[in-house]
Amino acid sequence: MPGMWWVVGVVVLAAIFSAYLGWTAQRVERLHTRAQSAERALDAHLMRRAAAAAVVAEQAETVELYAAARLALDAEPGDRESAENDLTRQLQAVPLDPADPAVRTLIATSRRVVLARQVHTDLVRDALSARRRVFVRLLRLDRRYTRPEYFDIVEPVLPDLPPLPAVLTVPTPAPPAEPPLPAQAR
Amino acid sequence: MRIGIVSPYSFDVPGGVQNHIMDLAEALIELGHEVSVLAPADDDADVPAYVVSAGRAVPLPYNGSVARISFGPISTARVRRWLKNGEFDVLHVHEPFSPSLSFLAVLSARGPVVATFHTAMTRSRALAGLQNFLQPVMEKITARIAVSELARKVQVEHLGGGAVEIPNGVAVRKFASAAPLPGWPGDGGTLGFLGRFTEPRKGFPLLRTAYVALARERPGLRLLVAGPGDRDELYDDIPAELHDRVEFLGLVSEPDKARMLRSVDVYVAPNTGGESFGMILTEAMAAGATIAASDLDAFRRVLDGGRAGALFPNGDQASLTRLLGELLDDPARRAELASCARLVVGAFDWPSVANRVLEVYATAIEATDGRVFDDEWS
Repeated sequence: MPGMWWVVGVVVLAAIFSAYLGWTAQRVERLHTRAQSAERALDAHLMRRAAAAAVVAEQAETVELYAAARLALDAEPGDRESAENDLTRQLQAVPLDPADPAVRTLIATSRRVVLARQVHTDLVRDALSARRRVFVRLLRLDRRYTRPEYFDIVEPVLPDLPPLPAVLTVPTPAPPAEPPLPAQAR
Repeated sequence: MRIGIVSPYSFDVPGGVQNHIMDLAEALIELGHEVSVLAPADDDADVPAYVVSAGRAVPLPYNGSVARISFGPISTARVRRWLKNGEFDVLHVHEPFSPSLSFLAVLSARGPVVATFHTAMTRSRALAGLQNFLQPVMEKITARIAVSELARKVQVEHLGGGAVEIPNGVAVRKFASAAPLPGWPGDGGTLGFLGRFTEPRKGFPLLRTAYVALARERPGLRLLVAGPGDRDELYDDIPAELHDRVEFLGLVSEPDKARMLRSVDVYVAPNTGGESFGMILTEAMAAGATIAASDLDAFRRVLDGGRAGALFPNGDQASLTRLLGELLDDPARRAELASCARLVVGAFDWPSVANRVLEVYATAIEATDGRVFDDEWS
């Protein structure tokens, strides 16, 4: 009977469609959870960087850097981005000695901030693009989740290669008998 | 931490990606982590202990060369089983958008996934066309690594995701401790070149012309060439009286490559373009050779703006000849450049590269389940 096939077809289509909706809902949930986790991680790393900067500032007795670090630690959500940018500017302006353990910690925490922000940006982008999908908007599958926001700061990179010893830029006379490759001497 | 790494290509055939994965896995194991590498391999193939076979690989032309990969339902089952048994803290896939184990692993993955992109894929238009289809796969990847600026650019422009640039590592110890070939570099000075000398962008003709000019004035000067190619083709363009001062090694193994680089006074990289990173330069730096290279962006970056190796204007024959002459006559400058190179190459040493990869792992884990690590990863 042709009528039967029509019913079967509709049932199959409905099943496929609801499976797709279930998958999309799961996807929306997963992307939002991840964006939230990334935000928490970014927040923790920014705190750590500010704390490490405060330690360096106390040691070097640089008042501006210390103030910038305090402001970054205490900033309200609305002022956070500009406070972090100020801290980055201060950090890039002061001379940092990579031999100092406190500075090394600071450089490491800055690197982690760069990574955390990179990942956070990607995950927020994924979540926002999921929110723009037609069925997500029509059925408001995203209504249970707050809209993730980008954290817009300048790249807080600090130079992590120690500057080469100055003596190397001056030609040093080498004894002519010395072979250019050390293993030859072995 | 428990780390699962997926190689898209079989270890039977040597290649850049395979070497990268093996060196990374060994560096991570040395740092005290548990590592399992899933790779296509024949069941009786001789592979390191940390490699798990995902079945036989089939040859498939991909991205301009023949890659040996596995793909299909049996491979999928093996990938799933490996993931289930491994209970990894983080999954690290390489080249996830090639039809390979990496792609299958991303599809089946649950937790944090880190992906490394090696090639600056030229088929980016095809990739951009597939973007909608690939989006759900892309979403499973938590953090992305690109091994070069070029690979990162492809990521950003065509796949709409950021990527952290972490360069290829170099096993500094292996290169620094290799023994020079017997009788090399000798007293008269030796120039070295490694690569496909027939390929125009490698710039070998520049070096050949410079060598012929210099060898006429310096009776002891020799040239050491390694890489794929036909011996006769190399000698055809060199005057007959210089033939016994030019040595051709052909295609060399990894250990022989290290020995070859240890056997030269000046390593010459006259490449005219198309280099995204300059792996060979980091290897020559690790071997302690003095480097003369064309001033491509990639080379300039690796050589720290010319402090770790001498640069000459790209394609400039006269400058190259003059520079090589100066370097050969000035052992002090050679020693200075080489010692500077040894310092700079430290950043490319596998332990420090592996530490940077570990930081990405930590970031991926934090972004997936909200844990934040207390200890520093460097």
